[in-house]
Amino acid sequence: MAQRDARFNQTVLVDTTPMPDHIPKVEEVGATSAPLMSAAYFIGDRCKAFNDDFMKCKDEANGRGEIDCLKEGRKVTRCAASVIKDINTHCLDQFKAHWECLENNNHQLWECRRAEMQLNNCVFDKLGLKKTIPGTPEGQVPVHLRPKQKYAQYPGPQW
Amino acid sequence: MGVPFEALLPYGIIITMFGVSGYGLHYVKRFANDGKKARWNRDLWDRQMMERDQRITGSFRGQSSNHQAPTGFEVSNPWKIENRIY
Repeated sequence: MAQRDARFNQTVLVDTTPMPDHIPKVEEVGATSAPLMSAAYFIGDRCKAFNDDFMKCKDEANGRGEIDCLKEGRKVTRCAASVIKDINTHCLDQFKAHWECLENNNHQLWECRRAEMQLNNCVFDKLGLKKTIPGTPEGQVPVHLRPKQKYAQYPGPQW
Repeated sequence: MGVPFEALLPYGIIITMFGVSGYGLHYVKRFANDGKKARWNRDLWDRQMMERDQRITGSFRGQSSNHQAPTGFEVSNPWKIENRIY
């Protein structure tokens, strides 16, 4: 079956069979899209090693990554959940303000720089996690540290 | 030489009707989005994340920042299936 035609899929199958007992259990991350978006860079900061490890494992597993990399995947899940838990414990107000702003603005980060700045400061003080955008050019102010955001609805400085 | 008031009546009707449709759409959209602004320009990732939000909170726009998923979340993941034609 070398050629596979595109086909619409409208139906879904929910298989409620749990994982077999010999596979260790892991608590899934319960945060939804906006809080995950808000915490993404902090998850990336703390969990970079686990994430890279998981991606390397999947890369080297030759298509069997879903089965062979379960151990690495559990580490990724636990690490992300730990970041969410810590932010909830220490910076709940700033976190909530930021993800509610994101949820109301189509998850566009440039609309919510003020809330993001407060969240970044709080998380850096309490948890020591710093937001860095990977792959940005050297010698320029990163976009999340510029007060004016080019495409934001409010054109002036956001803080 | 004043303008007779009958000449302005259609403008009143036009403004009212555009206002009704505009505000009506605004409120209907807000109602459909749990009182939040509607999402726009969603790609495949955004749509599947909204399906995940629905699995967690029961609503496409519901949000939760818990670090633990609710019970049964790990087995509610849907497989997209399609018909076989051979």
